[in-house]
Amino acid sequence: MPPPPTAVATMMESTPAEPDSKVNRDILHVMEDTTFGWLALLLVAIGTVTGAGAIWFYQVYKGLGIAGYTHPIFWGAYIVTFVFWVGIAHAGTLISAILYLFRAKWRNAINRSAEAMTVFAVLTAGQFLGIHVGRIWKSYFILPYPNQRGLWVNFKSPLLWDTFAISTYGTISFLFLFVGMIPDIAIARDRATGWRKLLYTVLAMGWQGTSRQWKSHNRTVLHLSGLATPLVLSVHSVVSWDFAMAIVPGWHATIFAPYFVAGAIFSGFAMVLTVMIPVRRIYKLESYITNYHFENMTRFILLTSLIVGYAYGVEYFIAWYSAVEPERTSFWYRAFGPYWISTWIMIICNGVVPQIFWFKKFRTHIPTIFVVSVLINIGMWFERYVIIITGLSTEYNTSVWGVYTPAPAELIIMAGSFGFFSMFFLLFIKVFPVIAIAEVKELEIHAKAHGGSH
Amino acid sequence: MPLLLGVYDNPAHVVDSIKRLRNRGFEDLETYSPAPFPEIDDALIDKPSPVRAFTLIGGLLGVVTGYALTIWMSYDWELPVGGKPFASIPPYTIIAFELTILFGGLLTVLGLFLMGGLPHGPFGVTEPGYSSRFSAEEFGVAVTCDERDVGEIEALMRANGAGDVTLVEA
Repeated sequence: MPPPPTAVATMMESTPAEPDSKVNRDILHVMEDTTFGWLALLLVAIGTVTGAGAIWFYQVYKGLGIAGYTHPIFWGAYIVTFVFWVGIAHAGTLISAILYLFRAKWRNAINRSAEAMTVFAVLTAGQFLGIHVGRIWKSYFILPYPNQRGLWVNFKSPLLWDTFAISTYGTISFLFLFVGMIPDIAIARDRATGWRKLLYTVLAMGWQGTSRQWKSHNRTVLHLSGLATPLVLSVHSVVSWDFAMAIVPGWHATIFAPYFVAGAIFSGFAMVLTVMIPVRRIYKLESYITNYHFENMTRFILLTSLIVGYAYGVEYFIAWYSAVEPERTSFWYRAFGPYWISTWIMIICNGVVPQIFWFKKFRTHIPTIFVVSVLINIGMWFERYVIIITGLSTEYNTSVWGVYTPAPAELIIMAGSFGFFSMFFLLFIKVFPVIAIAEVKELEIHAKAHGGSH
Repeated sequence: MPLLLGVYDNPAHVVDSIKRLRNRGFEDLETYSPAPFPEIDDALIDKPSPVRAFTLIGGLLGVVTGYALTIWMSYDWELPVGGKPFASIPPYTIIAFELTILFGGLLTVLGLFLMGGLPHGPFGVTEPGYSSRFSAEEFGVAVTCDERDVGEIEALMRANGAGDVTLVEA
């Protein structure tokens, strides 16, 4: 039913001045006036996506041959990038859901941006499944839909588990982001004019912060957190089983699920830091996202780096201890074969460099954190590259060994994925509050009330 | 009926006022809060939010759907492997798990919409007591009462920390 014209007309008028809060002004300020820098970044992002899109069209026309897929390696940079983005998607839910359940209030400053990154990262990762299968027009075959052949999908395949895991994760992350944003959208609605007023009025759905609304909202956030916590652990476990269920040397390991989950949280936190350090600086959010928040995140990075580093060690130990020749050979080639550069980048960036966070001096030094977070992003892409490619290139029979190098098409599409992700995030910070205003306010009001009564 | 609005800046005062108002028998109350303060909501609404039932139903529906879908499809399209049963429960548990979370989450959000009363009110129109100060840092308690009680409620609100009490509707 269309809204009554009078209601829309009232909406277009500016709201009368009422007492406002500093938190509202500071955070909503991020959405105001579009700067040249922002526009330039957005254009670069859109440009990369367009370039990658053109290459993808060409690939659909020409076939997967233009990607570097040759015998014996048919899982290349697209799958690597897919796993990379699924990993990035893990920080948001971890920060939002797990830290919510642990009542770690420091999450309030970063949870919104991390949740948004989660949604966009899942969206980016999802593209790669379509890009990788090549015959995009048949990609719906993966879904169990009634068809003339009376045929159903194979639920014993990890690839199908992946479909269910990723689509569930995408849906729940989106719901989490949206539900959490409703009170903040209402804040923006009360202060906006023009098209923004209309948009926020629709999305806020009449939110007024009544007891009934908050009561249901608190319960919803609690339950979504409870559901998302096992979900976030399951998603990368399922992704790891895409590999671990196969008998490929270097893949077939029971350690894969926890190893991948730790790696995902590790890379996700690094991406949140890489993005939020410049955002904080540009939009002067230092009083909301403080060094304390960054320090806490570096502690997480240190912890997960230790887990990931331990997993790297255990993989080598098991390969040696198993006394299985192909397993040993595969791991020997990892470190000293044609992919040695990738392997050492992965070990140094993920296992060694983050160890500087043992020192408080580096945990609180923003430029260091930024550089390390970028190195981790690079290292984690290479980790997936090493696992996927070295496994496939040296399987059991030496006659089917081969070497893979990513083709230009793959690299351009990979670059496009970063543009795709950035494009959404850049638009997001201009349309929605980048920090959870209501939650920040909760802490401030508590502090104020306490200060007043003593 | 008159609508009286008290404005507060301390959540503890809001809780006190609600408790006292309810003790005096004024039950037609509404609160406006800029941030989640469960103590306010609990003071006004006694029962826990029914959203939890939605999560439970969604989760159960998901787990049943997950197993039913996979097992039925395995027998509808038989794929014989070494004389083993067509349905294999361990891998299907993953599908059942994911659908538990998916349906549980979807129904939880449905619960938020139904139980939280969203979308609320006519489009673009807020309640008479609501204003943008309640999405800043202040709290509001709106009481619908009889005309003869206006004085008493105003006195009670002011005694319990209300900074500003206005008669929104006479």
